Amino acid sequence: MGISKDRIKFNVGGRLFETTATTLANAGRNSFFGALFDDGWNLSPQDSVIFVDRNSDCFAVLLDLLRTGDLNVPANIPERLLHREASFYGLLDHVRTARWGPFDGNRLRLSDSVKGTSPGDGTAIRAGPDGGCCVAHGSVVHVYDWMLEEHSPINLDYQRVNDVGWIDSDNIVLSACERLGRGDGGMGLFSSSSGDLRYKFQVSHENQVKSYTAGALSFSPDYEIFASCKGRSNEYGIGVWDQITGKQTDFFYESPGWSLGDADKLQWLNGKNCLLVATLFPRKDNCYISLLDFRDKNMVWSWSDIGSPMATDEKRVRDAIAMEDSNSICVVNEFEDLGFIDLRMYGGSVRWSSRSKLMKSKMPDEPCYPKLALHEGQLFSSMNDSISVFCGPDWVLTSRLRRSYGGSICDFSIGGDRLFALHSEENVFDVWETPPPPII
Amino acid sequence: MSNQRKRNFQIEAFKQRVVVDPKYADKTWKILEHAIHEIYNHNASGLSFEELYRNAYNMVLHKFGEKLYTGLVTTMTFHLKEICKSIEEAQGGAFLELLNRKWNDHNKALQMIRDILMYMDRTYVPSLKKTHVHELGLHLWRDSVLHSSKVQTRLLDTLLDLVHKERTGEVIDRVLMRNVIKMFMDLGESVYQEDFEKPFLEASAEFYKVESQGFIESCDCGDYLKKAEKPLTEEVERVAHYLDAKSEAKITSVVEREMIANHVQRLVHMENSGLVNMLLNDKYEDMGRMYSLFRRVSNGLVTVRDVMTLHLREMGKQLVTDPEKSKDPVEFVQRLLDERDKYDKIINLAFSNDKTFQNALNSSFEYFLNLNTRSPEFISLFVDDKLRKGLKGVGEEDVDLILDKVMMLFRYLQEKDVFEKYYKQHLAKRLLSGKTVSDDAERNLIVKLKTECGYQFTSKLEGMFTDMKTSHDTLLGFYNSHPELSEGPTLVVQVLTTGSWPTQPTVQCNLPAEVSVLCEKFRSYYLGTHTGRRLSWQTNMGTADIKAVFGKSQRHELNVSTFQMCVLMLFNNSDRLSYKEIEQATEIPASDLKRCLQSMACVKGKNVLRKEPMSKDIGEEDSFIVNDRFTSKFYKVKIGTVVAQKETEPEKQETRQRVEEDRKPQIEAAIVRIMKSRRVLDHNNIIAEVIKQLQSRFLANPTEIKKRIESLIERDFLERDSTDRKLYRYLA
Repeated sequence: MGISKDRIKFNVGGRLFETTATTLANAGRNSFFGALFDDGWNLSPQDSVIFVDRNSDCFAVLLDLLRTGDLNVPANIPERLLHREASFYGLLDHVRTARWGPFDGNRLRLSDSVKGTSPGDGTAIRAGPDGGCCVAHGSVVHVYDWMLEEHSPINLDYQRVNDVGWIDSDNIVLSACERLGRGDGGMGLFSSSSGDLRYKFQVSHENQVKSYTAGALSFSPDYEIFASCKGRSNEYGIGVWDQITGKQTDFFYESPGWSLGDADKLQWLNGKNCLLVATLFPRKDNCYISLLDFRDKNMVWSWSDIGSPMATDEKRVRDAIAMEDSNSICVVNEFEDLGFIDLRMYGGSVRWSSRSKLMKSKMPDEPCYPKLALHEGQLFSSMNDSISVFCGPDWVLTSRLRRSYGGSICDFSIGGDRLFALHSEENVFDVWETPPPPII
Repeated sequence: MSNQRKRNFQIEAFKQRVVVDPKYADKTWKILEHAIHEIYNHNASGLSFEELYRNAYNMVLHKFGEKLYTGLVTTMTFHLKEICKSIEEAQGGAFLELLNRKWNDHNKALQMIRDILMYMDRTYVPSLKKTHVHELGLHLWRDSVLHSSKVQTRLLDTLLDLVHKERTGEVIDRVLMRNVIKMFMDLGESVYQEDFEKPFLEASAEFYKVESQGFIESCDCGDYLKKAEKPLTEEVERVAHYLDAKSEAKITSVVEREMIANHVQRLVHMENSGLVNMLLNDKYEDMGRMYSLFRRVSNGLVTVRDVMTLHLREMGKQLVTDPEKSKDPVEFVQRLLDERDKYDKIINLAFSNDKTFQNALNSSFEYFLNLNTRSPEFISLFVDDKLRKGLKGVGEEDVDLILDKVMMLFRYLQEKDVFEKYYKQHLAKRLLSGKTVSDDAERNLIVKLKTECGYQFTSKLEGMFTDMKTSHDTLLGFYNSHPELSEGPTLVVQVLTTGSWPTQPTVQCNLPAEVSVLCEKFRSYYLGTHTGRRLSWQTNMGTADIKAVFGKSQRHELNVSTFQMCVLMLFNNSDRLSYKEIEQATEIPASDLKRCLQSMACVKGKNVLRKEPMSKDIGEEDSFIVNDRFTSKFYKVKIGTVVAQKETEPEKQETRQRVEEDRKPQIEAAIVRIMKSRRVLDHNNIIAEVIKQLQSRFLANPTEIKKRIESLIERDFLERDSTDRKLYRYLA
């Protein structure tokens, strides 16, 4: 390196900086600094001060980031500028990891609210693995990266999008309705950065490719994609594809008197090696929840409210989520009462915990059905304009996230250490994240 | 008109857009291209990394990523073509060296180029799904250098030639070899496999094919195996030195196929040195080598095992069917045990105690042992011999060892009940004549039989031991209650339970008065202590010790059978007796009488009687005189009756018949047991189950089973199904 020992001097855009090779080593080999000090480039003694033609204010921030691992952006530096500079040096990942801490439902703070251009009534919001998200509105899916910059939207030409899911930070799967007479629909793999269609997943029945409507999606760690499917000639059921080859590997046909192809929710249970399939009111008159084992094509567990006394809406299940740790399924009614069904028993009933009866009196004008999510032992449930966080074995309410702008929350999603909540009246979504850990 | 007027108000677009210098992209690319040239020409010291990185960044930022990328491909391809040309021109040995050096240079250059183009690599490349710079560099090297027609074959030939040289004992530059082969691996698994591994394996197969052919023509089996071992270790070593670890399994299987699998049959059956020869000569080392080598190939061990089994069966068959060898039962069994020991040792030392080999050994023994129907008898005779005298002075552990070996043979027997019959006879003889050497050894064997075949098998044998014990106690009691009997002859009685002992026809005879008085006393004593029993005397099985004084007052103690005693006692009262007189007085059946007279009058050294006229055989008209001139150097003289150790033909038939008779109730019991649990069963299944149930005792004959079923039907235990005649029903 030619310069006295560890010390390194930079002239960035006219401002002098002095740092050490150790500090710069934190940038990693795959960065500007890593390459700069490679043996291939002999830095001659006259280069004792290395000139870099970049913004010096941002360099100061990034140098500080390399020194401490902490990101402190002065108010006068726009985020976009900082991101641009970080991208030049190959330090974007450093910025992202320093930006927010590991997810904790009880320490969330609102970091941003992003307004979209399309009207309200979004279908779904899905968090990406690296902090980005995508929002489905009718036939368009808007994709945002972790910097919340919008990329080219995915436009399906008037086919309604039913569900969205991230394969990885660069690939998104969409499930869409079949359009009458056109035969299009089904599932496609899209690039999250450019919005281009990369692959179309096909369904074959008896070795014949058929058009279909794809509904709810789920993914397993074994690179499988599950989707509820409705074919034209009553080929209803759950299709399975390989994420790597894109080929259909299995199909679980719906049996008479049960519902799979219309499911509202699929959830892969890794411990049980089963797929949870839930079809709920109001899509159907009754609720059907089942666990499917694809290895022997067996419905290993099922629950339905057919035949149970259905006097009030109070007992209607609006969303369901399996909790493998406690061997139960959590359900919610439209008043945000939580109920639990034991997975170890066949044909058990719902044990409702009548937590709050207050809600019944003051229902908002345009209600949204409650949704459930689970993240590392914390249970999340959305109701109207707030999200409740429940913890512990007895699911005690520990936090409530609320932002009374945009109306009821119609969907929310947790991923990439962030929580995204989509409002129904205005097209706006909130980004909640955990602040970095305290200094001491 | 109005339309035209409207056009007048049209607002023109603001055309003065900020445009970057149109030559900007070309200028910037020129700088970068120059840098790439300099890098390839080892002239990079004058380049500024910051400037180049910034320029590449700007090109991507201003949407000239495409130009940058294609420029890179063109420039790199140009340099690689140059490199290729210089490699092609290299002479002889320098070729490989140069290739390796150029490859290292290219890698270094590639790293620097990637550093400059890092921003493009991170943003432009993934969004357009292009190949990353590093990978691109490898692909271009593969296509422009490695796959160029002049380099590809020359490189492969050079490499294979070096391997061949090393195989034939030359020393090669392994480091250079490793570096070049590592290039193939770095270029990707498919390149390594297609461009090097596949031809390498083919060449190896060819090499070892020729090699093995040469060996097999010139070497015997043992030497060949030694030679086949070598390349296996050599190739593993070669992989460790300069090939991909994944090739180990492949090249090993090539060597295995060429050196071993293709020659298995020929090696095993090789004249004068194949497996049979090894077995005969106990070549443990060679067989061990054969085992470890043949284990590697499919069918290898199966072949070895089959040949061993065939040889064993052939050898065993000769052994058991040779009439010469079955003359002496002890020798016969000893030979079997020796063979068994020999093969045990072979399997232990050479075949690493392989279970399948042990099974083959067992099945072979079972096969040929049962070829000879007299095997059960011989084994029992062997035990008899051992327990009579053979175990004298042998330690307890050795006794156990011998008995264990006998049990091993016993296990192979299919007709275990035949063995039981003989064993009972031999045991009875041993017990009654007091010939058994060690009571412990006897009981030990009974315990072994019991664990092998169950309580039922040995209950009668154990009963025999109990009888011996109680007889002893009874006798003590008898003499205690008759103290006056301490003078005069001593009577030793063994009370045997009917049924536990082998049945013998009761032969009555007139006992001398002195003895019959004693017998009567014992009878009344015994029946007095045990009510409701019947005693009958088996005089044909007894012995007696009598004192005799001959001519010159020589005193001898004669050990004789009860019959002989009866005869001799007659001479106390008269000097000369005719055959008729003797027969009348003793009432011994003629055949027995003749035998016992023969042994006293016609056997040299034992002739206490003289016969007139002198002849070998006893005639009805003969008469007998005490032989006053009888001499013997022993005080005690044993006059045995001539008894054949081995069974005579009619005896054998009788034993056989008795065995068959005994099997009947056992078969019937088994049928009833099975039918009781199954209720309904068809003919074939009954046969199969009966055979299975009785396997531990004997091999049931299907026709016999069928007869038993018929008999059970007659006696209303079973009935045939009215619709299906093959079905039997159990009648409760």
